Amino acid sequence: MLFDSLLAPKYLGWLLDGFVVTVVLSALTCASATALGFVLCLGRIARSPFWSLPVRFFLSLFRNTPLLVQLFFWYFGAAALMPESVLHWLNQPHHWRLPLFGVTWPPFEYVAGFFGLTLYTAAFIAEEFRAGVQGVPPGQARAALALGLRRYQVWLSVIMPQAVRISLPPLLGQYMNAVKNSSLTMAIGLAELSYASRQVETETFKTFQAFGIATLLYIGLIVLIELAGQWIQHRQPAH
Amino acid sequence: MNKLRIGFLLVLTLLAGLAHADRLDDIKKAGVLRIAAFDSNPPFGFIDPTTKQTVGLDVDYGKAFADKLGVKLEILSTNPANRIPLLTSNKVDLVLANFTITDERAKQVNFSIPYFASGQQFIAKKGVLKSPDQLNSLRIGVDKGTTNEIVLREKYPSATLVAYDDTPFAFTALRNGNVQAITQDGPKLIGLLANVPDKENYEIPPFSISDDLIGVGIPKGETALTEFVNETLRELEANGQAQKIYDAWFGPHTKTPLARIYKIGDKS
Repeated sequence: MLFDSLLAPKYLGWLLDGFVVTVVLSALTCASATALGFVLCLGRIARSPFWSLPVRFFLSLFRNTPLLVQLFFWYFGAAALMPESVLHWLNQPHHWRLPLFGVTWPPFEYVAGFFGLTLYTAAFIAEEFRAGVQGVPPGQARAALALGLRRYQVWLSVIMPQAVRISLPPLLGQYMNAVKNSSLTMAIGLAELSYASRQVETETFKTFQAFGIATLLYIGLIVLIELAGQWIQHRQPAH
Repeated sequence: MNKLRIGFLLVLTLLAGLAHADRLDDIKKAGVLRIAAFDSNPPFGFIDPTTKQTVGLDVDYGKAFADKLGVKLEILSTNPANRIPLLTSNKVDLVLANFTITDERAKQVNFSIPYFASGQQFIAKKGVLKSPDQLNSLRIGVDKGTTNEIVLREKYPSATLVAYDDTPFAFTALRNGNVQAITQDGPKLIGLLANVPDKENYEIPPFSISDDLIGVGIPKGETALTEFVNETLRELEANGQAQKIYDAWFGPHTKTPLARIYKIGDKS
């Protein structure tokens, strides 16, 4: 009876495979979205409208449309616009042998999912960074300039250290969102944790177990991010 | 005679009501039969572009049940994965949505005798797919939550499966080249292909990898309702109504001509 209500190892394996994809996808998304978000933030706070206007447009476009629609656009829509040869290359498996390790080009679902998630998350992270920069009193920058520091020095040693600390908690919140948002990529056929749980449910009809285990795995991942955040904030020297 | 009959019926319904509430009685009392049907799977269930109503072969059977009961028909749209939850959560009385009968599903719901049979086939760009052996080396689009996915994985374990929310999405993926073939029941693929503007580029290779029987999904344990559905289906076959319904959607003058190889009662 007890064994009846558990999931067979095969299906637990599916869920675990899905979990690995979710972890890797979220980690890659967070890393690249942080880098892109930082660049976008610089563009957004630039004085010249040549930089700030396009970035503003990008941010409002990506922050104000549903992620699911964006994913459909990248996977189904953008693919329809690409030339046949490019599309063919993207859909074929490729493998490169580098000196230390091999690199395999993933199927198009992974590319489109990663790309869509990264742009969406970066738009939010850029605004978190901007909030961090604006959270540093402007008097400090002026004072530092008055003391004879150069502009880049002001940025590196006065504004940045404080801005990063201010934006860290909301940044971790965005990382958690990225983990949860990655579940939407199941709609474009990316075999992450939600996709796997749905498949297990389809084959076993053990609805509670399939979605229950998926939920626990998501919670575990979010708790890890939370703990990492607390640890980092704890380590920071007090001022 | 008639009065006696009515009196007898009244006593019967009273007794049945005392024993336990029966779904068939609930339907008659409410005056509404609620069915779940597809809204984007021609010719089984789809939205008619001119009338904006859900129509199709499945819907016609639903109408026949409602007419026999003398109640109104209410149609809820469903997707493949929602069919069992809609029944178990009591949102609908019957599921008529190209519902393949399987042992696994029969643990969750009652099935009627089959009213349609089809095989699992494929659509691919012309010349890509010639024999079933090739399936093991292809990327194939499937609909989430369907038996097609399960059958394909069991029979061709090396094929790469990509699951989409429904058939139109899977077809878009095929058109974009994300997958080299998509799989569904043959009649559904014919229906899909009929509405594709560049259908000359695609083909349905002439082989199928399974034989699926389609039945009406009924809430688990509703014996009276199951009996009623089975009896009505046999009646529809006997009086030629079933053939008429079939011809309306798969007859030689339709967009999806397909010979009728299965009649109700052939298999149970």
